Amino acid sequence: MTIAAGTPRRKRPFWTIERRDAAAGYLFIAPQLIGIVTFVLFPLGLVFYYSLHEWNVLANTFNFVGAANYQMLLADKALPQVLLSSAIFSAGLVILNMSLALLLAVLLDQKLKGITVFRTLFFSPVVVSLVAWTIVWSFLLQNNGGINGLLQLIGVEGPNWLRTPATAMISVVVVQVFKNVGLNMILFLAALQGVPKELYEAARVDGAGRFKQFRRITLPLISPTILLTSIITIVGSLQVFAQIAVLTQGGPGMTTTVLVYYLYQQAFQFHFFGYGSTLSILLFVIVALLTFVQWQMRKRIVFYEN
Amino acid sequence: MKTDLSPRMKVALYGLMCVLLIPFVFPTWWMLTSSVKPISDIFAFPPDLWPRRFDFTTYARVFELQPFARQYWNSAYIAALVTIGTMIVSSMAGYAFARIKFPFSNAIFMIVLLGLLIPSEVTIVPLFQMFLKWGMINTHWPLILVPIFGAPSVFATFVMRQFFIALPGELEEAARVDGLGRFKIFWLIALPLAKPALGAVAIFTFLHSWNLYLEPIVFLSSTQMFTLPQALTQFTDAYGGAMWNIQLAAATMTAIPVLLVFIVAQKQFVEGLAHTGLKG
Amino acid sequence: MAPVTLKSITKSYGTTPVLHGIDIDIADGEFVVLVGPSGCGKSTLLRMIAGLETITGGDISIGSRVVNDLEPKDRDIAMVFQNYALYPHMTVAANMGFSLEHRGASKAEISERVNWAADILGLRPLLDRYPRQLSGGQRQRVAMGRAIVRNPQVFLFDEPLSNLDAKLRVVMRGEIKGLHQRLGVTTVYVTHDQVEAMTMADKIVVMNGGRVEQVGAPLDLYDRPANLFVAGFIGSPAMNTLGGRITPDGFVAAGATLPLPPGLTPAANAVYGIRPEHLSLADTGIPAIVKLVEPMGSETQVTMTVGEHTVIGVFRERLKAKPGETVHLRPDLEALHLFDAATGGRLN
Ligand SMILES: Nc1ncnc2c1ncn2[C@@H]1O[C@H](COP(=O)(O)OP(=O)(O)OP(=O)(O)O)[C@@H](O)[C@H]1O
Ligand SMILES: [Mg+2]
Repeated sequence: MTIAAGTPRRKRPFWTIERRDAAAGYLFIAPQLIGIVTFVLFPLGLVFYYSLHEWNVLANTFNFVGAANYQMLLADKALPQVLLSSAIFSAGLVILNMSLALLLAVLLDQKLKGITVFRTLFFSPVVVSLVAWTIVWSFLLQNNGGINGLLQLIGVEGPNWLRTPATAMISVVVVQVFKNVGLNMILFLAALQGVPKELYEAARVDGAGRFKQFRRITLPLISPTILLTSIITIVGSLQVFAQIAVLTQGGPGMTTTVLVYYLYQQAFQFHFFGYGSTLSILLFVIVALLTFVQWQMRKRIVFYEN
Repeated sequence: MKTDLSPRMKVALYGLMCVLLIPFVFPTWWMLTSSVKPISDIFAFPPDLWPRRFDFTTYARVFELQPFARQYWNSAYIAALVTIGTMIVSSMAGYAFARIKFPFSNAIFMIVLLGLLIPSEVTIVPLFQMFLKWGMINTHWPLILVPIFGAPSVFATFVMRQFFIALPGELEEAARVDGLGRFKIFWLIALPLAKPALGAVAIFTFLHSWNLYLEPIVFLSSTQMFTLPQALTQFTDAYGGAMWNIQLAAATMTAIPVLLVFIVAQKQFVEGLAHTGLKG
Repeated sequence: MAPVTLKSITKSYGTTPVLHGIDIDIADGEFVVLVGPSGCGKSTLLRMIAGLETITGGDISIGSRVVNDLEPKDRDIAMVFQNYALYPHMTVAANMGFSLEHRGASKAEISERVNWAADILGLRPLLDRYPRQLSGGQRQRVAMGRAIVRNPQVFLFDEPLSNLDAKLRVVMRGEIKGLHQRLGVTTVYVTHDQVEAMTMADKIVVMNGGRVEQVGAPLDLYDRPANLFVAGFIGSPAMNTLGGRITPDGFVAAGATLPLPPGLTPAANAVYGIRPEHLSLADTGIPAIVKLVEPMGSETQVTMTVGEHTVIGVFRERLKAKPGETVHLRPDLEALHLFDAATGGRLN
C-alpha cells in the first residue's frame, strides 16, 4: 500500500458525511423550530412579561406593577366560580367522552353486518363544522326548540336548557361530547383491533367470561391508548371556547364561564390585557400540570407498553 | 371479543346502536330540514320531522345578508394553506427527528414538544400584539401562520415522527447506495411511504383550521374577511335575535360538503386517523 | 471490478470499540466471505466498506482510491440487504432501475440494463409487480437484480439468505455463486452460517470480537485452523477439543491417554483437536462409552465420553452400539490439531 505506517493521516474534508447529514437535519427542522420560537415560545415569554404590567388599551396605560396582577388573581371573586366551571366542564367531558367512546368502540368491534355504516354515522359529527354543530344544538335546546317539543309529545315539560343554571353546563358538555366522541371511538377501536385474538382464545380456554375477558385482557392492553386519549381530551377540554360563546355566552350568571372564555372577556371585551395575560399564565400552568400528572400516572397505571 | 353472536344478541346490539345514534344523527337531520322551513314553522308544535312547507329562499338570504361566498372562500383557502403548510413543516421536522442524527436533536425535540402544552388560547394576547405590530390584524395571516407553526403542527410533527421511526432503516441505506442524498431520500422514499400518516395529519389539520373560532373573532374585524364559523353567528335580526332558518341554511352549507367528502372517503379517513401513532 | 483493501480499520461507537484494527486484502474479482459469531462486527465492517458507517481509524480503498470520506453512491458499490430493502411503493422494474435513474442514465439505457438483469435472474415476468406481491425468494432475486444492473466495482451482501427457508437458501446460494462466476465482480459476503462460507468463498475471513482470527481458502481453514477459535468455528459438528498435556507417551487428558505422532516437544498446557470424521472405530484404541447414537442415513453421529470429555464421532458405517456400551476409537494422526491452551495458537 502506498500509505506507509506512521505517515500522518490525509487531511479529511470539512464536509464529512456526518457533518453534511447533521446540516441536513437542521435544515429539515428549521421551519418548525423557528416557527415554534416565533409563534409559541416568544409569545409565551411575552405573556409573562405582560402579566407583570397594568395595561388597559382603552385608557392607553402600560405600567410595570410587579406581582399586582397575580395578587388580583388571588383576590378575584369571580375566579373560583370560573375554575369550578372549568373543572366541572373538563371532568364531565372527559368522563362522558371516554366512557361513551369505549362503549361505542366495543359495539363497533362486534361481528355484525353493516357495522361500517354505524361507524360512519357515529363519527360524522367530528367532520361537521364545530360552530354549525353548536348552532344546531343551540336551536334544539331553545325553550321552544326541538328537544322540548319532542319531550312535550311524551308529556314532559322540559327546562329552558341553556338558561337554567343546573342544565346549562350539562348541555354544553353533552353537545361537545357528541361532537367529538367519534375521534376517541376510532382510536379505541383501532386499539381493540390490535389486541391479539389468541389472548381471547386463551382466556376462553381458561374459562373467562366476556366481562372478565374485557376487564383482564382488553382494558390492560388498551390502557396506553386510554391514557393518551385522555390527555388529549383533557387538554382539549381546557381550550373550549366556541361552544360556550355560541350556546351560553358564559351564562346563566357565570355558571358556564370557563377559563378561556373568562380570559377572552377580560382581554378582548374589557381590554385588560395585563390581567388577561395573567389568566393565560394560569391556563398554561393548569395545562402543564395536568399533562405532567397524567404522564407520571403513565408509569403507574399503564400496565402494558410496547 | 369477536365471537359469533346469537341472533337475539344481534338484535339487541342493533337496537342499542340505533338508539345511541339518535343524538349523533338527529341534529344534522334537524339542521337540514329546519333550514328549508319558513320561519313561522320553525318552532311549530308538534315538531315536524319533515317540513310541512318548503321555503328555499333562506338559502338566497344567506348570501344577501353576508358576503357568504367570500367567507366560504376565506375558510376554504385558509384551511387548504394551513393543511399543506403543516404537512410540509411537520413531515420535514418529523423525519429529521426520527431519522437524522444531529447534535441536540433530542433536546430540540423536547423544546418543540413544549408547543403541545401551549395552545394558542394561552398566547392569544401577545399574538394579537405581535400581529398588530406587523400590521396583520384583519388579515388572514394570523389564521395561517399560527396553526402551521403552533400546537397543531407540533402534534402533526409528533405523528409524523412516530411513523418515520418505524420505517426500516435498510430502505434508506439502500437509497443512499442507490445514489440519493438526504433530501431525495425524504422526498422519493420516506414521504411516499408515509401517505397514511400524512392523511391523518391532513384531516386533523384541516378540521382544526376549519373549526377555528377564537382566533378569527380576535384577529378579524370586517365581514369581508370573516371565516365561516364567525359568519355563522352573525345572522341576527335588528334586536340581536338569531334568524334561525337562515343561520341553519348557512350551517347546512358549511357542514354538508365536508360531510359528503367524509362519507365518500370514510375508509381512508378512519384508517388514517387510527394510524396516528396514538395507539401507544 | 476492483480490489478492495482494508488497512488497520478500527471502529468505535462512542467510546466502545467494536473493531480493533482489521487488515484484509481482497483481490480483484475475489469472493470473500466474512464469518464469525453474532456481534463480532461483520456487518459493521461491511457497512464501513459501503460507506453507511463512518470509519474511526484506518483506510479503506476500492481500486486505487481511498474511499473513507466518500458517500456510498460515490464508491461504486452495490449492496444486498438482509431484509432486501426493496422500495415498497415501486414496481420491480422501478426498483431495479432506480439507481441508474439517479445517475442520469437515459430511459432506453435503463430499460436495457433492467431487462438484461431480469433475464439473468429470471425476473422478466415479475417486472410490473410490487414487492408485496413477491415471494421471499423472488424478493431476494430482485434485490440482487438491483445490485447488478449498475455493474458496480464491488458487491456487498449482508446475510442475504437468512430470511429464506433451508431449501431455498441452498438454491439461492448456488445462484449467487453462479452470478459471481458469470460477472466476476469482487464480492464481500457476510454470513454467520459457516456452510455458506465454506461453499461460496474463494477466501474466508473468520472474525471474532472485532478482530480477524484467520484469513484463508475454505479448505485451508478447515484443514489447518490457525487457532482454537477457528478450529471450533469452522466445521459441523465442531472439532473435538480435549485439554491436557503432551508427553512422550501420548496426550494425557483427564481420564484418558490419546495417541500422538512421534517427535513432539512435551507441553504442559495443550489442547488436542480432532474432527469427528477423523475418528474411526477399531477393535483396540481409546475406549469410549456411547451416550447417544444419531443415525443420519448416510452416516452416523455418535456422542461418547472419553475419560471426562465428551467426544463426537461421525462414522460412515452404521453403528450397532447401544448407549452404555464401550467402543474403541482410533484418531487419524495425519489430521490431528494441537493447540496451546493458553494462547489458543496452533502447535503442530
Ligand atoms: N449503533 C451502534 N451503537 C453501539 N454499538 C453498536 C451499534 N451497532 C452495532 N454495535 C455493536 O457493534 C458490535 C458489532 O455489531 P455487528 O452488527 O457488526 O455484528 P455482526 O457481526 O453483524 O452480528 P450479527 O451476526 O448478529 O449480524 C456489536 O457488539 C454491536 O452491539
Ligand atoms: Mg450483522
